[in-house]
Amino acid sequence: MDEFQSGEETSFVVEEVSNIMKEAIESAIGGNAYQHSKVNQWTTSVVEQTLSQLTKLGKPFKYIVTCVIMQKNGAGLHTASSCFWDNTSDGNCTVRWENKTMYCIVSAFGLAI
Amino acid sequence: MEEFHPHSDEMTFNAEEAHNIVKECIEGILGKVDYNHNKVNQWTATIVEQSLTHLVKLGKTYKYIVTCAVMQKCGAGLHTASSCFWDTTTDGTCTVRWENRTMNCIVNVFAIAVVL
Repeated sequence: MDEFQSGEETSFVVEEVSNIMKEAIESAIGGNAYQHSKVNQWTTSVVEQTLSQLTKLGKPFKYIVTCVIMQKNGAGLHTASSCFWDNTSDGNCTVRWENKTMYCIVSAFGLAI
Repeated sequence: MEEFHPHSDEMTFNAEEAHNIVKECIEGILGKVDYNHNKVNQWTATIVEQSLTHLVKLGKTYKYIVTCAVMQKCGAGLHTASSCFWDTTTDGTCTVRWENRTMNCIVNVFAIAVVL
């Protein structure tokens, strides 16, 4: 019985995913100041763009992408995440970005099918 | 050759059950305290770990991701979004929002079915 062997990498490549996320952030909010009326649109655009680029990689993974945008106002923000998965095949990547008026934190989790 | 049929009631994500589990964890850890910069890291870590432990104890064949954000109430705007590429029949998510006088807490649970 032949085993299915993929010539391409089927593991979660952090650098590749990180670049995808940085591009999505730059194109959605790069150069903009925090604006209450637009933020919802921005967070949606970041997650959707990231997710669509990740799926285009064609790897057998399920993905979860989350994005947090916070106005710079002196408030403290702490985040944590914990995952119960297969350490050999699954992975995650978090990108932190900021400008003068806001912080943006995007996390991507990839789980092998 | 017999096919393995997983129990249908165990292959869907019960969001209500997860919601209750997480809510109890948050209440237990943040219920009686005010925002404290020195302790927040400890709190967020405990919330995600406890929630994850309880979810795993449900014994379902799922992988879980639990994220928690705690923010000081300071007038700042906070927006979050998430998007998932998965099997909508078996996978699911649940978000719990909690607050008290000095802080907001948002916990997300993502559950991905494991296909054996």
